[in-house]
This record gives sequence, C-alpha cells and structure tokens, in this order.
Amino acid sequence: MVRIKTLDGHRRRSTQELLQTIEAAVLRGDTEFDIEASGQHDIGGPLWNREGKELLFRVRNPGQRVGAMCLPGTTVLVDGPAPADAGWLNSGGRIVIRGDAGDTAGHCAAAGVIQIGGRAGARAGSLMKHDPQYEEPSLWVLRTVGDFSFEFMGGGRAVVCGLGCAPAVSPLGARPCVGMVGGAVYFRGEADDLPEDVLLSAPDDNDMSWLKAGLANFLASVGHPDLLPELSDRRQWNKITPVPFEQRKRAPVMDMGTFRRNAWVPGGIFGDVLEDDGRVTELAAPGDERLRVPVWNGESCRDCRLCLKSCPRKAIVRTDGEKGVYSAACARCVGCGLCAGLCPCGAWRMTEIASV
Amino acid sequence: MASVSVQDVSRNDLPWLVEWRQDKCVLCGMCAAVCTADAICFTASRGGVRGAALRQRAEISHACTGCGMCTKVCQQDAVRPVRNPDNRFPLLARAGGPLKRGGRSNLNPPRTLDKLVVGRISQMTDPALDSERHTFDLRAPLGRVLPVQDLPLRVEGDSLALTAPTPPVRWIYPLLFSDMSIGALSTRAWEAIALACAYLNEQCRLPVRMCSGEGGLPGRLLESEHLKYMIVQIASGHFGWNRILRALPRMKTDPAGVLIKIGQGAKPGDGGLLPAAKVAPHIQSIRGVPRATLHSPANHQGLYSIEEAVQKMHLSCNAAFGFRVPVAIKCAASATSVAVYNNLLRDPYNICGGFFLDGIQGGTGAANEVSLEHTGHPIVSKVRDCYRAALLQGRQGQIPLWAGGGVGQTGHAAADAFKLICLGANGVLVGRLLIQLLGCVGNEHGRCNACNTGRCPAGICTQDMRLVRRLDVDRGAQAIVDYMLAFDAELRKLLAPVGNSSLPVGRADALVATDKAVADALGVTYAC
Repeated sequence: MVRIKTLDGHRRRSTQELLQTIEAAVLRGDTEFDIEASGQHDIGGPLWNREGKELLFRVRNPGQRVGAMCLPGTTVLVDGPAPADAGWLNSGGRIVIRGDAGDTAGHCAAAGVIQIGGRAGARAGSLMKHDPQYEEPSLWVLRTVGDFSFEFMGGGRAVVCGLGCAPAVSPLGARPCVGMVGGAVYFRGEADDLPEDVLLSAPDDNDMSWLKAGLANFLASVGHPDLLPELSDRRQWNKITPVPFEQRKRAPVMDMGTFRRNAWVPGGIFGDVLEDDGRVTELAAPGDERLRVPVWNGESCRDCRLCLKSCPRKAIVRTDGEKGVYSAACARCVGCGLCAGLCPCGAWRMTEIASV
Repeated sequence: MASVSVQDVSRNDLPWLVEWRQDKCVLCGMCAAVCTADAICFTASRGGVRGAALRQRAEISHACTGCGMCTKVCQQDAVRPVRNPDNRFPLLARAGGPLKRGGRSNLNPPRTLDKLVVGRISQMTDPALDSERHTFDLRAPLGRVLPVQDLPLRVEGDSLALTAPTPPVRWIYPLLFSDMSIGALSTRAWEAIALACAYLNEQCRLPVRMCSGEGGLPGRLLESEHLKYMIVQIASGHFGWNRILRALPRMKTDPAGVLIKIGQGAKPGDGGLLPAAKVAPHIQSIRGVPRATLHSPANHQGLYSIEEAVQKMHLSCNAAFGFRVPVAIKCAASATSVAVYNNLLRDPYNICGGFFLDGIQGGTGAANEVSLEHTGHPIVSKVRDCYRAALLQGRQGQIPLWAGGGVGQTGHAAADAFKLICLGANGVLVGRLLIQLLGCVGNEHGRCNACNTGRCPAGICTQDMRLVRRLDVDRGAQAIVDYMLAFDAELRKLLAPVGNSSLPVGRADALVATDKAVADALGVTYAC
C-alpha cells in the first residue's frame, strides 16, 4: 500500500508530480494506492502492472478526469464526489464514485464500469461506444444526470436510477439522447424532450436480468445495498434505444401528389375560375396544344406531294380527286412547319393559333 | 436572288444564334414545334426533302431568346442557341418603343455577398455547434416587436399579466416566398409555390410563408385553412382586394400577414405591369378588369406623405383583420431607405410590423429594361445602413428587416441569407429562385427573360394553357421543397461554426470581407 499525500503545508504537488510518482511506483510493482489528492487530474490511468496484477486506487478529493483512459485491471474508488470527466475514455477500468460526479461523466467510455453513487452533471455518458472486440461499457448513476445526457451515444449501457428525482422532472435532464445511434439507456421516471430518432420501451426479460445483477453490484459498491428492493420494481424502469439506422427516415415521405390530393384544397385553388385537369403535356404536343398549325391553300398547290414525303409525323393526308386535296391530321401534327418550309408553291402556310 | 440591303435585319443582329448541325439533323421538326418565339423555320435549299434546311428567322419580333427548348427536345444534338456577342439588338429592338422584358438586371456587377466570407469560426474560443444534431431556433419575426421596457405588463401574484394588447408578431421561417402575382405567374406555377409552402409547413415543419403578390388570391384559398401560410399583398393597383374582403366572413383563419407594397427592387418608382397577353379570362375575373395591359400606379394614390403611408395604410390593413395580423411594408432599396426606416421606428403607435427592402437584383415579370438595368439600389449596404441606424437608437429588432433582391442568384441562397442576416436582416425574400426551381430557364445573362410576352416556354409566366400544361405542379412543388430542405440544412451548417443557436441577426463580426471597400462600407473586418 502506497500512501500519497499531495499537500505539504502550503505546498501542493502538481498533477505532473503526482502522476509521475504513481507511475514510478507502479513500475516498481506497487499495486495499491491511497491518495489524498488536492484536485490533481487524471488519477488512475492509463496504468498497468507488468505481471498482470490488479491495480487499486483509493482517492479522495480528485481533480477532473479521475479514472480517465483507465485500463482493464484497474479499480479507482473515489470516496466522495469527483469533478468533470470522471471515467473519460474509460477503456476497461472499474471506477466507483461514492458521491456526485461532475459534467461529462463517462464521456467516450468504451469499456469497463463506471458507478456513481450520486448525481452526474451535463452530458453524462455522451459519445459512449462499444468496440465489439471488448466487453461493452456501462455507466451507473444512482440519482439523476444533467442536460444533454447521452448525447451522440454509440454503444454500451447506461443506467439512471432517478433516486430522489422530483415528480414531473426528467431524471435525464433536458434534451437527452440527441444524436444517439447505439447502446441503451435504462432509467426510472419520466423522460421528456426525447428526439424523434430514439425509441422508448419497457425493458424485456434479458434487460431486467442484466439490470438486477448489475444493480446489486452497483449498490454494494456505492454503499447503498439497502436500496435494491426499491430499485428492483420492473414497472418503474424504461429503456431508450436508438431507431436502427436502416429504419431512419431523413426526408418527409409523403409524395407531393398524395399531399395535394389529401391535404390541399380539393380540386385545386383555381378550380372555380379555370378548367384545368392537371394533365401535363409533352413539349411538342399535337392537336389543340400546337402553337402553330399548317393551313393548305388548294389554289397554289401543284400536287407535287413533297409535303407528304417531308412530314416527320406522317400527319399530312392527301385525298384523291381531280387534283389532290391535302390536310394535316391534327392528332399527329405538332406544328413543326416543315411542310410550309419546303412547299415549292407556297400552298402550306403556318398560322399562329391565338392563345386560349 | 432576293435583294439584301445593308439596313435589313439579319440573324447576326440578334442576341442569340440558332446553331444547326445539318450532319446530325434528321428533320424531325421538334425544335420548331416547341419554339415559343417562333424563331425557327425550314426552307428548301435544294429541291426535294433532302434539300430541307433549318433557318433562324431574322426578325426582331421572332428573335431567339436562348431558352434552349429546341436543344431539350432534339434527340440528335443538332440544334442549340449560341450567344451572339456582336448583336445589335438593343439598338434595333427599340424601334417599337422602350424595350420591355422580365427577369433580373443583366448587368451583373460583382456581387457584394460574394466578397463576404463567414470568417469568424468558433475554434477554441467558444464551442462550435453540431449542425446535424443541435437544435437551432431558425425563426424570424413578422410584426412589431416591443422592447422589454415597453411591454404592458403587471405583476399579478406569481405571474405577469398583460395590461394592454401588444402588436401581433408571427415567428416564421427566415426565408419568405416573395410576392409574385397571379397573372404574372400561371395558375399552375402560383399553385405549385403555394402547395410547396403548405407541404413545408405540414410535412417538414418549416414555417415558411408566401406572399400573394398584387393579383389577389383565389377564393378557394381564401376560404381554406391554408390561408394561414399566406401574406396578402396590397399594392397600388389594389387588384383582387374586392374578393379578399368579400371572403372575410367565410375565412376560417387569419392570413399570416399583410404586406403593403410601395415599390420593388427590379423597377423602383415604377408600378406593376401585366401585359395584355397575360390577362386571360380568369385573371380578368380575379382582378376585376377587362383584357388590357394593366399598369399599377407608381404610387398608392391617396398617400401623399410618408406619415400618411405609415398611418393611413397601416391602419386600414390592421383594421381589416381586427389588429390580429401583422402589417409590413415593402419598399425598393433606395438612398433614402434609412430615412423611411427611421420614420417607421419612431411611429408611436407601433403599427408597422416589418420593413421589407428589395434590392436592384430583384426579378420581375415585366418591366422596362431601362428601369431593370439602371434604377435601384444594391441591397447589401442598405440593409446594413438600416440596421445600424436602428442600432444607434437602440431600436434594433423592433421592426423586423426583411431583405430581397438577388438572394440565391448564384444558386447559393443559404449563404446569401446567412450573410444578410449577419448584416442585420431578420430574414430574406426569394422570388426568382422559386420559379427557377419550377423550371424557368431564364438567367441574369440575357437568357429567355420573356416573362412579359405571355410565351414563357416553361409554362410559368404565361396564361396560355398550351404552355401552362407543360408545367407539372407536383414536380415543381417537390423541387422547391427539396431545395428548401437543403437550404435549411445549409443554414445550420453556417450557424454551427459561428456557435449560434439562433439567427445571428446583426452579428457582422461573423463575417470578414475580402474587399477593403466592402469592409469599410459595411463595417466588417477586412481579410486577405
């Protein structure tokens, strides 16, 4: 057991001095530490014993990022509260905080266990993730968490027991689980302000057996084993999981035609002043849609049949008589004017139809 | 051989040349059939079918507009309009009087907005935000916003109570579908924009509002719940107001606002103009006029001073809807805009709910080219001037500033909007952008701009049903919705790096100018 005091009269050891002292002791083979800290950062990780023995840190009054980057085989016990970023980037350690934890507790934790015997601050559990090569991380909070909790969470499990949470107040703070893409959050009480891309459900049997086993361990660690019966009531627990990526819908789904038919003014807003059946025509359309129509003048025609041959739509009809009589079939003619342009006698003339 | 004299108009005098590839053409005739300018015809260069040749008409009245519908339908890539830099069109086309056209100014001076960059990025100084997942408040006020000290509040027990009514304020999306009238637009185009607006509200939760323009509103819309998305416009012609008033008893909801149009950026000092070619029977009935070219007066007749404009016009429009609907005013940006804004700000009755400023790059359905090109005021510095004037008096934010005229001209409306907002606008107006999304092929380089002729090849600025039927309402509305969703995402992409959760109105410190003169004029940092 290595006991370290960080205050000597008015002299305080800097974070660097303390961490280098700890690292040297771990290298010498020491595995148990009792640290009377005075706000030094990053106590507890990332450290390992060369023979694979477990490391244990008992800490009071730590600074930020206690247990940060913690590795498997390390246990950090904080007797009392811890400020921001407790268990930051935890990669396998066990971090127990008997009191409250500050903001961003468990931020980016990817393995290991973080147990908090009080409240956790804003953005607790944000960006937690689960690397499938290792065990999933878990974050336990006895009371409540602050706003924006579990933001961008990508994996692992978080448990917020909601103990002492006032009625009608969310134990998850304002706007929890924004951008959550993986993992699960279990909590007691009512959450509001949940984003659309998460699902709220009741825990299933597997969830409950995992919860009950973990709760016993958690409550024992933080010194409240007596609360186990109170927290074991299945009906009080809820679960938040993200909507699976495949089921997410980015864009609104109703197509415009359906919207117009179902939600818009029936028959269109101009239905009473203008007849419009909504038909959409091609750019070049025959019949009444033509911008110009060919008109035939029999007096000039010398019956050479060039128009018959040139019409790309085969729209010109010649009726036999003493001399041919020509007309343009309006069902086929689009009004291109080739007949008029090529006619050597000027018998075809294009006429603009007045707009409707 | 036909005789040709030097003063005859030739195709080389026209702004666009129709380039024809005889080696590719199969003489299907489609190019000529779709040409609304009737610019293409055929001739026989030799005898027989194989002697057929495409010819561009060498007539001012049939000048190719460059719309490119011929290219669109040609399966062989055999025909396309080519810009003709040596044309003499501006000289020759004035033989029939002043040149008229639609569209925007084609002079294209360097855009001030493109000399501004969002250069103040949160990098360690303060946290940038997550544009995808952070919740932003992207709403802008329409209505008179009272300063805290002027709110008629009284403490009653544990709460505050109003002791007098406050002016109506609507918090709406900071991009507003600007006023294009029924008549200027085809029924289908106008309905497509209104439909897109409703869809954005009801399916996408973007509280976008649309201004009717000065052509009235269709009765069915006036009597529907969708009226709540509409800002009804009253301009100097007062067209359509008879029907709006008669619909009052049957209205299910109030409109979103009333916009008094004093002027527009494309042709300031000139009234609305609807050429006779577009005054179809349904337009005649909605507007209550016979077929004729409709000129709105350059002024609201009966308003002889700024005080009258503020009091009389605002009062009447407020009263029409029981003082429940914000009433705003739209003016062309001008060297005098600040004086007008000051006047509105000092109005003791708090009756003006918004000052809409429209810059020289605004579009129009029909105007004299001389007005389009040579009158008006750029929007950017004028928005800044007005905002600073209010700031100096501690009155910023009380009368919302809305800026239009060239927003989205280069296709990047979100950046334009963001920069204008940083300079002091509460929101922006877009008009031309919307019809371009519907399928308008016109641009600021002289392409098409035939909005005034009634021969719009896209069926947007015409009442000729043969052309209107070319326009698919659903596809058009969808294109507007798609663009708006991208706009919304892009606006967040700009808010996030400057660390703002709400619109950074007046946060000019978020911008830097890459041009010293622009930096000095706008009071932003110069960066190079």
